[in-house]
Amino acid sequence: MKIKMKRTILSLMIVTISMMGFAQKKTTTSATIAFDASTAIDNLPKAENKTAIAAIDPAKNTIQFEAAIKNFAFANPRIQEHFNQKGWMNSDEFPKATFNGIITNSSAVNFKKDGTYTVAVEGDLTIKGKTQKVNTAATIVVVGNTLKTSATFSVKLADFDIDGSPVSAGKVSREPKITVSAELN
Amino acid sequence: MNQIDLYVMLKDPKSKKILKWLLISGSSLLLIGIAVYFYYATRTHEDTAGLKVDYTVEAIPFIKEFEKDYKVANKKYAEKIIAVKGIVTATEPADTTMNIKMSDSTSGSYLIFAFQDQHMSEAKKLKPGDNVVIKGSCSDGIYSEILGIYFISFKRSTVENN
Repeated sequence: MKIKMKRTILSLMIVTISMMGFAQKKTTTSATIAFDASTAIDNLPKAENKTAIAAIDPAKNTIQFEAAIKNFAFANPRIQEHFNQKGWMNSDEFPKATFNGIITNSSAVNFKKDGTYTVAVEGDLTIKGKTQKVNTAATIVVVGNTLKTSATFSVKLADFDIDGSPVSAGKVSREPKITVSAELN
Repeated sequence: MNQIDLYVMLKDPKSKKILKWLLISGSSLLLIGIAVYFYYATRTHEDTAGLKVDYTVEAIPFIKEFEKDYKVANKKYAEKIIAVKGIVTATEPADTTMNIKMSDSTSGSYLIFAFQDQHMSEAKKLKPGDNVVIKGSCSDGIYSEILGIYFISFKRSTVENN
């Protein structure tokens, strides 16, 4: 009788711990955010930030990203310099970009079951102090207690008050493509 | 200027000389412009390993400087080449690359180093507990609303010694 009781308690503990693992907020400090604003006449304006912070809360169905603007790495030093200047990202005054979103079709993903799920995400993207709504499809891969997520969407530079002669000259795309990917534990 | 004017001008030795001079200087300016454009357009960042270090710091006191006043610390360190002595607390894959972290165990705030392509193999050899000097371009330190701690990012890093 005692042994049976111990087994039941142990099983309950294992289930509870597993459930806690699934329900816990998953984070990473090494998410990748890439943007590509290159055009047919200029291949330079594209960069990657590999030290973005990302979080997914399976209990609340929230998705968050946070990236230091100055840590977007460009191949070309001059473009890197221009990118951070006042006329563009003004990274001294606005040092980070953030995204706070929610999975709108939460029934499309089962965080407790391994698999690949396509979800709809809606949220607020804040760049250079301006906040805009973003709607995008995202992929979430559940592998045990690890979540892998990725999404690609476009933003309009004008929505974030980013403009300049390189944009009107066609050297920088008016709607850069943004790709995010993260492995969260 | 019509064709006759141009013909007359080309016949005049003085005008011919001016035209020749204009043509040569115009072409030279064009060539210089093209050369300058290609210099800047094809330029890439120098290898961090060969760059002069602006500051050499210890990881934990360095983190504490940002925690104390990140604006003051950013003015001093942002976009500077810094050699950081410290203990690796985590290695994190980011796509095909590897980031190295040095964290303050008391506050949770951390330094994170993204590596230059040619130095990625050095980063991949590091493991938690390693005592290293990592040199990189300090981007800045900011407060994370998600984690509730400060993080200081580095780009184009290289391992100074291991």
